[in-house]
Amino acid sequence: MTKTATPQSSGGDVRLHGISKTYGSFTAVHPLDLTVPAGSFFALLGASGCGKTTTLRMIAGLEDPTTGTVELSGQDVTALPPYKRQVNTVFQNYALFPHLDIYENVAFGLRRRGIKSVKKQVEEMLDLVQLGPMARRKPQQLSGGQQQRVAVARALINHPQVLLLDEPLGALDLKLRRQMQLELKRIQTEVGITFVHVTHDQEEAMTMADTVAVMNGGRVEQLGAPADLYENPATTFVANFLGTSNLIEAEVVEAGGEELLLKAGDAKLRLPAARCSASARTGEKVLAGVRPEKVALKHGDDAGSITEGHNRLPGRIKDASFIGVSTQYVVEVPGLGGELAVYEQNIERDGRLVPGAGIVLHWSPAHTFGLDAAQDIQAGADLDEEAA
Amino acid sequence: MAVHETTKDSQAPAARTPNRGLRWLRRHLVTLAGLATLGYLILPNLVVMVFSFNKPNGRFNYQWQHFSTDAWRDPCGVADLCGSLGLSLQLALWATVGATVLGTMIAFALARYRFRARSGVNTLIFLPMAMPEVVMAASLATLFLNMGIQFGFWTILIAHIMFCLSFVVTAVKARVMSMDPRLEQAAQDLYASPVQTFLRVTLPIAAPGIAAGALLSFALSFDDFIITNFNAGSTVTFPMFVWGSAQRGTPVQINVIGTAMFLVAVLCVLAGQLAGNRRKRSKRS
Amino acid sequence: MTPAITTSAPAPPDGPAGAETPVLRKTPVRKRLVPYWLLLPGILWLLVFFAAPLVYQASTSIQTGSLEEGFKVTWHFATYWDALGEYWPQFVRSMAYAGVATVLCLVLGYPLAYLIAFKAGRWRNVVMILVIAPFFTSFLIRTLAWKTILADGGPVVGVLNSLHVLDVTSWLGVTEGHRVLATPLAVVCGLTYNFLPFMVLPLYTSLERIDPRLHEAAGDLYARPSTTFRRVTFPLSMPGVVAGTLLTFIPAAGDYINAELLGSTDQKMIGNVIQSQFLRVLDYPTAAALSFILMAAILAMVTLYIRKSGTEDLV
Repeated sequence: MTKTATPQSSGGDVRLHGISKTYGSFTAVHPLDLTVPAGSFFALLGASGCGKTTTLRMIAGLEDPTTGTVELSGQDVTALPPYKRQVNTVFQNYALFPHLDIYENVAFGLRRRGIKSVKKQVEEMLDLVQLGPMARRKPQQLSGGQQQRVAVARALINHPQVLLLDEPLGALDLKLRRQMQLELKRIQTEVGITFVHVTHDQEEAMTMADTVAVMNGGRVEQLGAPADLYENPATTFVANFLGTSNLIEAEVVEAGGEELLLKAGDAKLRLPAARCSASARTGEKVLAGVRPEKVALKHGDDAGSITEGHNRLPGRIKDASFIGVSTQYVVEVPGLGGELAVYEQNIERDGRLVPGAGIVLHWSPAHTFGLDAAQDIQAGADLDEEAA
Repeated sequence: MAVHETTKDSQAPAARTPNRGLRWLRRHLVTLAGLATLGYLILPNLVVMVFSFNKPNGRFNYQWQHFSTDAWRDPCGVADLCGSLGLSLQLALWATVGATVLGTMIAFALARYRFRARSGVNTLIFLPMAMPEVVMAASLATLFLNMGIQFGFWTILIAHIMFCLSFVVTAVKARVMSMDPRLEQAAQDLYASPVQTFLRVTLPIAAPGIAAGALLSFALSFDDFIITNFNAGSTVTFPMFVWGSAQRGTPVQINVIGTAMFLVAVLCVLAGQLAGNRRKRSKRS
Repeated sequence: MTPAITTSAPAPPDGPAGAETPVLRKTPVRKRLVPYWLLLPGILWLLVFFAAPLVYQASTSIQTGSLEEGFKVTWHFATYWDALGEYWPQFVRSMAYAGVATVLCLVLGYPLAYLIAFKAGRWRNVVMILVIAPFFTSFLIRTLAWKTILADGGPVVGVLNSLHVLDVTSWLGVTEGHRVLATPLAVVCGLTYNFLPFMVLPLYTSLERIDPRLHEAAGDLYARPSTTFRRVTFPLSMPGVVAGTLLTFIPAAGDYINAELLGSTDQKMIGNVIQSQFLRVLDYPTAAALSFILMAAILAMVTLYIRKSGTEDLV
């Protein structure tokens, strides 16, 4: 066997060059270049069938790429079978061996590499995941959360360069999932191994990862730090899939300066040129976007007090739902043909803001982003709910 | 077959390795071994089929002589052959009815109720399946002899129901056990009386298990030789006719009937598969 | 699950008093008897036609007498010793043939079951039909077909001869001269063939239940394919292996058809002896004693085997 246990548990980087996968006429993953820096917590985020799991499996060696290469720490491992790659996987539903007890499950990888005295390492690892007393139980006698920790221990004990996690929290209930997210993040910081995490849960990806790659239809739509993705989505899919966005169809009426001037219906909107990912010459169409929590809401009678220079849209409240920390409004804006969502913090509640009330929406131009109009404005909008 | 394997193969840097054939062989060893076993299983059926067109010189149909369709044109041309076939079908039918009714009742009792002597009943169901046929055959025949009961149709039927029963119980019990008891509670919640619950919910869900048990009974009874041999007296079922012919001379018609049974069964299975596929497809669209 | 299940349904009032007295109502006796009524006919059938005959046979085995004068229970246990003393070669042969056939079934059947479970893909149903289809032709006819396949002048024997395989097997004592029919090889070949589906089907069932991710997990944890098979696949298929070997060994040990049709007098198994003692010689006590010994031997071996393989411990 080519690999030997490296004494230090620092992670390695993963480089994918032009990697793709097709099954017959179906392309699961389009040629893809991706670099996961050593020691990072990297998330592949997308709805089911977007190619994220296939990508993960190609890194693990469980799937042969149709084209391209996989490099681990600078070494081309494309032709290596999984048992010769120094990566380990936490499988969806864990894939714990039902005929072996917890101890033997965790010791499995060490034993396969011919390590004789595994006792100390296994016990340490079981302590790390707080399952010491469970060592002689069978997997099916454990709860979901415990099984999940066994799966992590079984993979981590091998000190892989990269740990791959395939929807590791998918089978857990919400509360346990939150708890395990923090736990996994803690373990990652402690051991310093590169984590590549596949998930459909955008909150999970944003809480845990330092870098998130959003995948859709076998391609990476956008890659970046969670906050960056959220504030500056590059496509409608990212804008809708990560949180909620208000996307407004608009036409560029003035370009060239630091700010673009847009016309949406009767209203004029301003957008920083740097925050527009589409080409924006005068006369072209763009989508102006703004996050619901960035938008403020004033009753029509107080419209005069709105800060000068803010983007403003007059409208009518269609629906208001109180959810504790905030109130979520659905606002109809005539002339735009659509509805906008607005989240207001519940600091001072204006009793006049009830359904039917005429209001003015306003927000700082700096919070506006611009997207190419030649995209499906709804892309990714329903997927999120489905996945969650 | 093995779609993934072949794509893997075309991906592998095979050009570099000189012994490509050897690697292919290693990769597909299991598949090849499995196919060889499949061949071993099918070969006799092919031989039976081919030899149904033989025109043997002597009394035995073991060596190929001339092609002929004589036997196919006159399948009942041998004395007692079709009579024994009819008797076997009749026996199998009644044994199936008897074993299915009795076995389904036991299965429901075991799957749906708690009662004393449960483990005793389970053992009594299991033992006939774990017993060499010849032991059951000899002991039942001893009973009939001692009771002075005349061997014939009825003794065979009694024996067949006896050894088919356990298989029906096993098949039906598995199905009923895997059924969610809340379904029955839901039915009662929706105003179904116990009888209606049984007829409208329990029975339809258990039906595939019952059908499997019945089919197995039919096959076991129709093909049984050892137990029948001990308990038939002078009555001749189809397997007994074949056995006898192995001593006296094997008419080609035996192969004709064997082949016909094989083809009818395969056609039935294929038709069922096609119907199932079509149903699935129409559901999807 | 209990007969009490019916009490959860709205029961009709028992009578005028039933509605007023809030006593803990017991399940009506009639309903508690339901399982017994369901069991009665089938269990009675098994008791009368399966269990009672075994008892009868036990008593027959210790009887002495003759056909003309009738048999009487004389506690004549010597029948057992005489039967064993005379027919022990057939006993040993039965166990040996059945054992070899079982091992061959396992070796041949495992790849086929594995093929159906993991590799056949969309051909799975076709292969499955091909495994089950032979059942539909009477097994006696199929066994007779082996007489044709293994015939002295046939192509199989021809090939084996030209490859000198038969010289080797003759030296090993499983064939005689340049033929296969009427040798132990032919009988074992027939037994293996006849009980192979009983091995393949349970193996397939237990293999099919294995989550393919377990194979991937083993590969991910540094097990090469052969190790994955030894450490994961095979242990997880143990229920199928145990069921398959039992379903093959038990009927093979009691079989007399293959020995009769494909063997000669030197390949007679214990089944042949019981059959001829019972149906031709009409020596019922000896036939009964032999049946009992066979039954006891098989039950003992099966119990030991199940203990040893520790299947209770498996999932």
